[in-house]
Amino acid sequence: MFKLNLKIALRNLWKNGGITSINVGGLAIALAAFILVMMYVTYETTFDKGNPNYDNIYIVGRTMPEFKTNYTPPPLGKAIKQNFPEVMAVGTLKKGGFEFAISSDANTAFASNYLMVDYEAAKMLQLLPNEELAKPANEEGILFFLAKESMMTLFPKKKDDKPELVTLGSKAAGQTAEVKGTISVNKHSNVTFDALSVRKELGKNENYGYNNYNTYIQVKSGTDIAALEQKINTLYKNELIKDGQDVSTDRYKQTTIFLDPLKNQHLKPMAGNNAAYKVLIALSVLAMLILLIACINFTNLSIAQATKRAKEVGVKKVLGVYRYQLTFQFLTEILMQCVVATILGLLIAELLMPKFNALFNVSLSIWSANNALLYQLPLILLAITFIAGIYPAMVLSGFKPSLVLKGNFQTSRNTYWLRNSLLIVQFSVAVIFITSLLIISTQLKYMRTQDVGFNANQVVYIKNIMMFSDPRVFEPVRQKIMRIPGIKSVTVATGIPDGSENGSNGYTVNGVEASIDFLDVDFDYFETLDIKLADGRFFNKAFKTDTANSAIINESAAAKYGLTDPIGKTIRGCSMDYKIVGVVKDFKAQGFETPVQPTLYSIKNPCGNAKTQLMLKIDQDQMSEAIATLKAQWPDINKMDGDNFRYYFLNDLYGKLFQKQEQLQSVFFAAALLTIFIATLGLFAFAKYMTNNRMKEIAVRKVLGASDVQILKLLNSSFFAMVIIANCISWPLAYVLTKKWLETFAYRIDIPVLPFLISAAVTILLTVLTVSIQAAKAVKANPVNALKYE
Amino acid sequence: MIKIENLEKVYKTEEIETTALNGINLHVKEGEFVSIMGPSGCGKSTLLNVMGLLDKPESGSYKFLETELLKLNDRERSNFRKRNMGFVFQNFNLIDELTVFENIELPLIYNKIPSAERKKLVNEIIERMNIVNRSGHFPQQLSGGQQQRVAVARALVTKPKLVLADEPTGNLDSAHGNEVMELLCELNETGTTIVMVTHSSHDASFSNRIINLKDGHVISEKINKGKTEELI
Repeated sequence: MFKLNLKIALRNLWKNGGITSINVGGLAIALAAFILVMMYVTYETTFDKGNPNYDNIYIVGRTMPEFKTNYTPPPLGKAIKQNFPEVMAVGTLKKGGFEFAISSDANTAFASNYLMVDYEAAKMLQLLPNEELAKPANEEGILFFLAKESMMTLFPKKKDDKPELVTLGSKAAGQTAEVKGTISVNKHSNVTFDALSVRKELGKNENYGYNNYNTYIQVKSGTDIAALEQKINTLYKNELIKDGQDVSTDRYKQTTIFLDPLKNQHLKPMAGNNAAYKVLIALSVLAMLILLIACINFTNLSIAQATKRAKEVGVKKVLGVYRYQLTFQFLTEILMQCVVATILGLLIAELLMPKFNALFNVSLSIWSANNALLYQLPLILLAITFIAGIYPAMVLSGFKPSLVLKGNFQTSRNTYWLRNSLLIVQFSVAVIFITSLLIISTQLKYMRTQDVGFNANQVVYIKNIMMFSDPRVFEPVRQKIMRIPGIKSVTVATGIPDGSENGSNGYTVNGVEASIDFLDVDFDYFETLDIKLADGRFFNKAFKTDTANSAIINESAAAKYGLTDPIGKTIRGCSMDYKIVGVVKDFKAQGFETPVQPTLYSIKNPCGNAKTQLMLKIDQDQMSEAIATLKAQWPDINKMDGDNFRYYFLNDLYGKLFQKQEQLQSVFFAAALLTIFIATLGLFAFAKYMTNNRMKEIAVRKVLGASDVQILKLLNSSFFAMVIIANCISWPLAYVLTKKWLETFAYRIDIPVLPFLISAAVTILLTVLTVSIQAAKAVKANPVNALKYE
Repeated sequence: MIKIENLEKVYKTEEIETTALNGINLHVKEGEFVSIMGPSGCGKSTLLNVMGLLDKPESGSYKFLETELLKLNDRERSNFRKRNMGFVFQNFNLIDELTVFENIELPLIYNKIPSAERKKLVNEIIERMNIVNRSGHFPQQLSGGQQQRVAVARALVTKPKLVLADEPTGNLDSAHGNEVMELLCELNETGTTIVMVTHSSHDASFSNRIINLKDGHVISEKINKGKTEELI
């Protein structure tokens, strides 16, 4: 019986080849999207899962009055290990902080993500070199490892795993160190690095004031984490007192300890935001929607095709087949189509994989051995077979033989409504994606064209590890650089306008205290960035006081203090009295998501970090020559960095702020294209079916004198109505969704009307085109044929 | 063989109620060939559908070899049908996707006949129906008469006790129509009971008894003398 059913199914699918390919093809494309997203979701949710102690590792963090942080002092880890037997291991880590050069005789590599760990952390977090990790013999012993890529750059011919000697920093000024060996970096881990040093103990001489380490603990299975958290908290407070820290402050009283599981670190860490997690959820919903649309298509088309199978059902029932056997038969048929769709989907996914990997900056592969797809795919296959197949199977197997065998067949009013509703849902989803895509694009266009208040063009940022906090130290460097033809201005600051955050501190003006941002700059900072002056003047070498206690504030800071005439006023902060000499117009150094922060710019700042960020304004026409000369002269200009001249264009760095939105735009573009494509496929097949069903009606109308246009109108009208309904349903949804998204921007567009009108126009146009292509055949046909056929 | 008593069947739509069968009483003996005639909408086909267990009446009794069939559930009806009944339709109702051979084989598969025996039975009937050279063809490749022969072959292959035929010649020209009627007669002569719905007096003349229906009632019953005498 199975063989015969298979024959019927195959011959049927073959006979209706067009509709079958639309059905299977649409599902395959949707499945490809779903497979990609599912692989991404699996990847994102399994960071560090390969660690055998995945479920028992926690990071120790602190909840402060204003924020949460994963930075803890190193003695805390030791105290935890000594006091709580349920904690099996404690590991301490510290990040390197700045990029440095590592040179061999042959080449130079840069370590931008240097990580220091203690032996226990290396073992706990599986940071294991290719050779067995030996415990450093003594307190001073440091084992230094390099990622394979860097090692290959430095020693291209190296085959063994023996230690090598390298120079750290500039060759002239640098120090020599031994690289113990190569280490494979697991990119699918929360702990990544390009250079690693392992010590017996880390942060040995630091006290409880040094909150710049990470502490990981590994607990015994079944440990009550809430209780442990409480105990560590009490321990921490007691240790602070013992350590002699000031415990009278509110800050101390309000600080508590939390334990955050390793498995939450990547997507929803307590110290940090869960934006990545939200994106993942949104992406999953998106993929499910697309798959749902394809399933709806499937259901719709299968029901539309039902009339063709009615006779078969009738005959089989007359011959004594039970209904459940027929239901099973149709489900099996749909399963077969789904299997084909899945195979096709995998192929499409494979083709799209490079683009997807580039967009999401991952390196996924379908063909990896431990792929979760192995068990996920069969489950999805069964699920879509059930979702897409159960209704048509029930409808088909439910036909009454006494009716269908007489030819009195009509799909019931119920399936008519169902099919229409399903089409409306499809188009609604498509309209939401199109509208959202257009609104996202409008916001991106706004961000790209809006005046950000400074000019990043022709500004070159040079990497540097030399500290230029004192203007007198920087002056000779400036003069050397300025001698190069094409260089218009040079400055150094603690930060560049690429979205990075400034420091913040409390400042007082006229008795009004407020917390505002501060940025330490040098002469020509505002000129280099082409920032506009609102009042007063910029820093100027002619004024000796500028290197002592002059400050420039931005308009937001003036507004925050309510200053109408700020010039000459005194602003006090960081134990200094500054005199305000100028007010600059606000500029969007942090991009469009956060509002411009009230900021104080000064040359001298005892609370600030070291000024290391060099920025040069270079004449466009002499750019390449100027950069070549800079590179050649760099060892002379900057002895510390020596031969390691590295530069970036500031507009590229600032442009990275839009990356997230551009990624979103790409995702929505793909989703809009996919949904509209699948929905149109469904519509195409549905219109074909409807038109075929109405051949006789069309013939009769033509005989009675209907014009071609009247018939086209007649066939289009119901579809037209459905698309209008779909638009009406999705407009408010799209409005709410995009409004929510736009609210994440401090600077944003008002929601325009045009995207809504365009998505309506696009869907209506596609519908009329799709339906008319089908209808035209019926209109052109000779009515006599249709009537004779009957 | 068949005892039908006080059979009632009503079709209801939102607006109207139509009584298709209004207290029908009908007995059919084993080996009989009965024709049911009457104007359109008199309930002929409804009666045939009820007899074939394709439709359920509102009330009444339907006994087949002393078994009350109206009490059976859907599954039991299916089982009873496939073991005891064969159907021939006006529009043949062959499955387009299956060849002649496969169409005829279908009821045997549902009756769980082993493959070798199926092949033997189908080949026998194909030969008997004179369609051997058509066994690999699809229904669309055959003439109407040939299609109906296949349909009859399909109805007979399980050797049913009762064959129900609904206007079997309705879609055929007179030559092909006669062929099919002769086929049914031959079948009847081998002992199969046949109940046929027809509009055609010519077709009805092949049967032993003609029952006339009107508005859901049996209004007359006529013994076909020539035919009966022949039988005697």
